[in-house]
Amino acid sequence: MALATLDRRPPPLFRQGLTALTKLLFCAALSLVLMAADARFGLVSPLRSALATVLNPLQRALLAPVDAWDELRDRLRGARSAMQAEQAARTLLAQQALVLARTQTLERENEALRRQLGLRDSLPVSSRAANVLFQSGDLYSRRLVIDRGRADGMQRGAAVIDERGVLGQLTRVHLQSAEVMLLTDREASIPVLNARTQALMLAYGGERHAGLELRFVAANADIKTGDTLVTSGLDGIYPPGLPVAEVALVERRGQTGFARVLAQTLARADGARQVLVLEPPAAVLAAQGEQREPGAQPSRAEGKRP
Amino acid sequence: MIMPRGSGQLLLPAKPWFIALSLLLALLADMLPLGPQPARPHLLAVVLVFWNVHQPQRIGVGWAFFLGLLIDVNQGAVLGQHALAYSALSFLAVTLHRRLLWFGVWQQTAQVLPLFFAAHLLQFLARMAFGGMAPSPWLLLAPVVEALLWPLACALLLAPQRRAPDRDEHRPL
Repeated sequence: MALATLDRRPPPLFRQGLTALTKLLFCAALSLVLMAADARFGLVSPLRSALATVLNPLQRALLAPVDAWDELRDRLRGARSAMQAEQAARTLLAQQALVLARTQTLERENEALRRQLGLRDSLPVSSRAANVLFQSGDLYSRRLVIDRGRADGMQRGAAVIDERGVLGQLTRVHLQSAEVMLLTDREASIPVLNARTQALMLAYGGERHAGLELRFVAANADIKTGDTLVTSGLDGIYPPGLPVAEVALVERRGQTGFARVLAQTLARADGARQVLVLEPPAAVLAAQGEQREPGAQPSRAEGKRP
Repeated sequence: MIMPRGSGQLLLPAKPWFIALSLLLALLADMLPLGPQPARPHLLAVVLVFWNVHQPQRIGVGWAFFLGLLIDVNQGAVLGQHALAYSALSFLAVTLHRRLLWFGVWQQTAQVLPLFFAAHLLQFLARMAFGGMAPSPWLLLAPVVEALLWPLACALLLAPQRRAPDRDEHRPL
């Protein structure tokens, strides 16, 4: 028996409003239009940005319980593991200090050599630090949300790295937050260079277990498990020489002309807390400006080049 | 007042502020940033279906669409993915509402399970059509967990309506 209620108002007889089916047809059509406009044409970013700006304070407030839980777990793990973590961090810092010192020497040497050979100086890369707010809950993509947005000068297309390597690229920039598309997302791809053999390759995301897949590698190519892949800089988005991934699996099948190569990204999305956002190079900005207003003179963006 | 025969209890009218509060709390619970977890139940979907079944004149397809849009923006998903799924879920719940309440709670659970499956399937199809990654198979568990939350939702969300109509200090319940 259904539970009866004390609500004794008569049900509306004449003003029933739209039926649920009509509303469903309307809402479903609207959602399909929205999805197509978002995924295919990229038309709804103002609406998304407006809603994101409204939701942003809520999202930040909701971080508090999650952070409190993490802190509680850290406390329960005790002083011993905290000291171990600090020891590991110090060791890492010492190793990096050595690398840094050598890099500085090499950079000076490189500069002198370039001047002697009459080559162009490599462009300086400016960067900004940002904190990772959270990993997005979307099951069908891989994204991070960072706490810097348009108000802090973030721009679409900027590369994002953490202390281990390249994380991804800013794809959506809202007023006070931005979304980073990780390299392991299905839509992401990055041109890489095998540091050992200096061979150029393309890495695509979307591989569920390993993260990246290197496509179009010849079956007899010189590539081994454990090879380090770095950015080649050919795309003009990622500066050259940043570590990206490590080859995890090489499968050479007899029948096909290509080898199946999987790589594990060095940057780990679930562990990232602080990241660096690299300024996109002037060429990328110019291309974006042209996209926004076709027919505009590219010289406007060109003038920003340092 | 005439009591319907065989029913144990009369319910108080639902308060609009309680409906709004429960929806808001479910939305906040769904927005908790825990990272991508395939088996995580959508509390908002459960609460929406509950109010669609119990108060179809107040909470209908339009609200489901709007709340779905908010979840889309929060997750950074394709705009319209949750909106479509929740609208369909809400429509199915509204069409079900006259029949569902004649059953016991566990039979109701069995009947809402296909609804949640349909909502997840719609999201899956929509994302596959617009080029998403295949999610982990644990996603199949999410509608089951949502259906299992149905008895809990019935107990919690009907509680304010189960109080006595004229309160008596000597008889607290």
